[in-house]
Amino acid sequence: MLALKLLWRNWRAGEVKILASALILAVAVVSCISIFTDRLEQALISQSHTFLGADRVIRSSQPIQDKWRLLAADYDMKTATTTQFASMVFRDDRMHLASVKAVSRGYPLLGQLKVSDVPFATDAELIKVAQGVPASGEVWADSRLLPLLGLKIGDQFTVGEKSLTLTRVIIDEPDRGSNFSAYGARVMMNEEDLAATQVIQPGSRIRYQWLLAADESVLESFLSQLEPQLSPHERIVDVESAQQGLAKTLDTAQKFLLLSAMIGVLLAGVAIAIAARRFAQRHVDQVALLKSLGASSGKVRKIYAVQLLVLGAIAAILGLAIGQGLQTLIASALASVFPVELSPASWSAYIPGLVTGVVCLLCFVAPPLWHLPVVPPIKILRRELEIGGVAFYWQATLGVLAMIVLVAIFSRDLWLSASIVGAMLVLMVLTALFAALLLRLGSQVGRKVGSVWRLALASLNRNAQQSVIQMMVFGLAIMLLLTLTSLRTTLIEDWQLQLPPETPNHFLLNVSPAEKDDVIELMQSQGLTSQYLFPMVRARLTHINGVEPSEEVKQRAEMLRREANLSWSESLNDDNKIIEGKWWDQWREPGVHGISVEAEAAQDLGVGLGDDLRFSVGGLMLEARIASIRTLKWDSMNPNFYFLMSPGALDDFSPTYLTSVFLSPENKIFVNRLLEQFPTIVVIEMDRVIAQIQSIVAQVSVGIELMLWLVLLGGFMVMWAAVSATMDERKQETALLRALGSPRKRLLGSLLIEFSLLGGLAGVMAVIGAEVLLLSIQYWVLDMPLQLHVALWVWGTLGAMVLIGALGVFSCRRVVTTPPGLILREVG
Amino acid sequence: MLNAQSLTKKVSTAAGELIILDEVSLQLQAGDSLAITGASGSGKSTLLGILAGLDEPTSGKISLHQHELTELGEEGRAKVRAAHVGFVFQSFQLLPGLTALENVMMPLELHGIDNAKGKAEFFLTRVGLNKRLDHYPQQLSGGEQQRVAIARAFASEPDVLFADEPTGNLDSATGAHVIELLFELNREQGTTLILVTHEQRLAQHCQQRISLEAGKVVERVCEQGVALSEVG
Repeated sequence: MLALKLLWRNWRAGEVKILASALILAVAVVSCISIFTDRLEQALISQSHTFLGADRVIRSSQPIQDKWRLLAADYDMKTATTTQFASMVFRDDRMHLASVKAVSRGYPLLGQLKVSDVPFATDAELIKVAQGVPASGEVWADSRLLPLLGLKIGDQFTVGEKSLTLTRVIIDEPDRGSNFSAYGARVMMNEEDLAATQVIQPGSRIRYQWLLAADESVLESFLSQLEPQLSPHERIVDVESAQQGLAKTLDTAQKFLLLSAMIGVLLAGVAIAIAARRFAQRHVDQVALLKSLGASSGKVRKIYAVQLLVLGAIAAILGLAIGQGLQTLIASALASVFPVELSPASWSAYIPGLVTGVVCLLCFVAPPLWHLPVVPPIKILRRELEIGGVAFYWQATLGVLAMIVLVAIFSRDLWLSASIVGAMLVLMVLTALFAALLLRLGSQVGRKVGSVWRLALASLNRNAQQSVIQMMVFGLAIMLLLTLTSLRTTLIEDWQLQLPPETPNHFLLNVSPAEKDDVIELMQSQGLTSQYLFPMVRARLTHINGVEPSEEVKQRAEMLRREANLSWSESLNDDNKIIEGKWWDQWREPGVHGISVEAEAAQDLGVGLGDDLRFSVGGLMLEARIASIRTLKWDSMNPNFYFLMSPGALDDFSPTYLTSVFLSPENKIFVNRLLEQFPTIVVIEMDRVIAQIQSIVAQVSVGIELMLWLVLLGGFMVMWAAVSATMDERKQETALLRALGSPRKRLLGSLLIEFSLLGGLAGVMAVIGAEVLLLSIQYWVLDMPLQLHVALWVWGTLGAMVLIGALGVFSCRRVVTTPPGLILREVG
Repeated sequence: MLNAQSLTKKVSTAAGELIILDEVSLQLQAGDSLAITGASGSGKSTLLGILAGLDEPTSGKISLHQHELTELGEEGRAKVRAAHVGFVFQSFQLLPGLTALENVMMPLELHGIDNAKGKAEFFLTRVGLNKRLDHYPQQLSGGEQQRVAIARAFASEPDVLFADEPTGNLDSATGAHVIELLFELNREQGTTLILVTHEQRLAQHCQQRISLEAGKVVERVCEQGVALSEVG
């Protein structure tokens, strides 16, 4: 009971406030992030499953074997099949090369198939989730097929030999993906009608998909039986391979959140350690008094252990509650746009927060307090007696180990954690050396300057060791905060740059040379700006350096198994980068056509600069020599090509054109108009995918901002703890100076200079450290292009100076404004 | 009540061994009062600390209320202190975060005594601070703080009260008032009082007085007021 009373009295006296706040913050930051990322991870997995329409998909060029179906039945698995192929669909004299998909009952196993009775419906009220698949004799199709064939709901059209009735339009199908191979408008029919169409003939290019859904353990056991039976033409598609561009954004966001948690915990750890040290110093007298009153060491130990445990428990409960509240806030901000409901976090997500609390208590709080029970009672009479605690290096070692453990909990990567903590330690040692050097320089300067400055510099130098430690702590806190702030800015800018507001969201393919000018004219008349029109020729790569590629290369390189799109261009798109060789303006090889190949494609094909590629374009041969290798960003939503030819190389072949355009929802009807006028043009609608990514990016950014504020709070707490740690001595010195007649203004001036200098120097070291950290994180963790942060150098240093200066003066103001007698009495 | 035989305290310093107390012996009966005087550094506080069981002598024996302190470890001495000893310090040693009432309640709570609050209020009223119960130490004057410390010392009704320069931080008028209070309570409770002071005025109140110089007793005055010079 006494322990609890003392804890309450200590709390009231403000002695445990910093300690408790730092503990609460540590638990809150960690819980918030671990709960949120757990939910995000679960959502991502289930979302990816919706992209697949199943938990796993077996993709094959052959029909699914009956024995496999029997095996699946044994495992009591949910299954469905889809059969996809390109086929002409007809109505009267109109036709279109559609992308037909015959589906079985049960499709899709996961995710939603959205349909409407109104073509091009965007109004949520008009869109329904399909219950089941098209009935036999019925067909559902993309809205764009209606103007192409002049159809309306209820009309009939023909697929192969079978006439089917259009009953609905498809608005969204989960497993459509965003690849360009689905050129034609989607036509979805029932599997039972497939045979009657008679379109499947030997040699037809058909993609059979077998959708599977079951518990993970059942799935794995089933797949382990199935896998040995698969031929090279059959493969298992899982969540990872189905994740879209969005996943990368969320993955980066998750990494950022984890990094924030690490930084938050590091900051909270430092604040806790400083606060605990101060708590211990202030309690030496209290313990000596308790012991003089007859308390045994055991009793003192018990009193403090109970206080710490209760403090830890309160911090854990409050921290968990705050963490839970914050993550709910972030999640609800996301909920409005997130395609799937975030499910509740698993109970294991609450563990890291609690572990953090326990580790912080054991490794940061307990060591400085460890010696309290053995404080000799004679200390009450002999105040000059030095009390030896747990050696500083042991405390430091324990602290560093704790940091590594905590960071490892998040990164789940011991090596990464050790590197981050190690890098931080190196930076801290360098900071200490640099700070000591600067202080020495400062003392020499101090002799030559005015009295206020002299007072400030003398104060810094008198307690050089303490000043160095303070500078190190300030430097560390500011460095971590600068790192996080800049990273967030870079990250968000990078995302927004990837998909700026008017990113083209519709692709127009198959524009014939004759239509080219008319299409541009139509677009201009609608006030739409088109991107460059890329010429495109479909070709098959047949020979590399005059030799037919081996079976092995064919298996590896997908572009050898299908036709590729060749294009040419004078200039290089912004999102393309030459990594080897030269672009056309510098490439000279008379008599040979040049070709630029995308890096991954080149790797799959096993080709490099100077290799010759031979293509077959509708039976005609085209030879070209590799002039450059490019990297490109597929997620930029710009038209991009594996192969780009030198100007003039495709002059003998009649190309079609490809372009992209941004259509706002109000302009969406343009698609209809375009297709009515140019029925052979293929339009690929990416607007929903892009809008979804943009809004998720915006919301994730909000989440990141929230987290940043939380970590900023942690940084502020560290600085507050560091300033408070020296408050007792400062009180005494300042009160003495005031008692000796120093005017208030002069003391305030000197305090301002002292703290601003500390802040400024800490700022300089922080920006150096932050720059190194940022570059490393960009390079190794986030896989982003390296970029120097020049602005950071200026505002980082100035900001630190102003912030620490203000914080110092604010914390010390009472010392300067209270009558010195009162202060001297208070500090004894 | 208290019997000390040949107490010696030596410490090792860089300059060699330093003798702080040299063969000090004394004897006190219940209710006696003893003043230890001497210049700064003469070993007064060290002697007080050893007699109270806060520190150990290098050699010698102390018996306090039938307990051989020199044969007990720190835990044993803590028990003896808890049961029999009270303190008043020069710098008051009040906990700054606790109110006057809470400071007095603390030892009572530490020993699990019932009605700690009532008892603490009684003693604070007894020292004239019934209107200052909820004040924090920094809101009290030096004299008031020392009165709180006296209330705290007497509240646990010790058999022996040790006071280290109880008026050292006070002006003479306040000091006089505090002395008066100390002896008044001492008489009321029949407590044995041992105090360290360099003030003769305070020392005069005690039945016995010893004066230390470089750790040795150079003068001893018994209750009859006869001065005896002591050698060695």
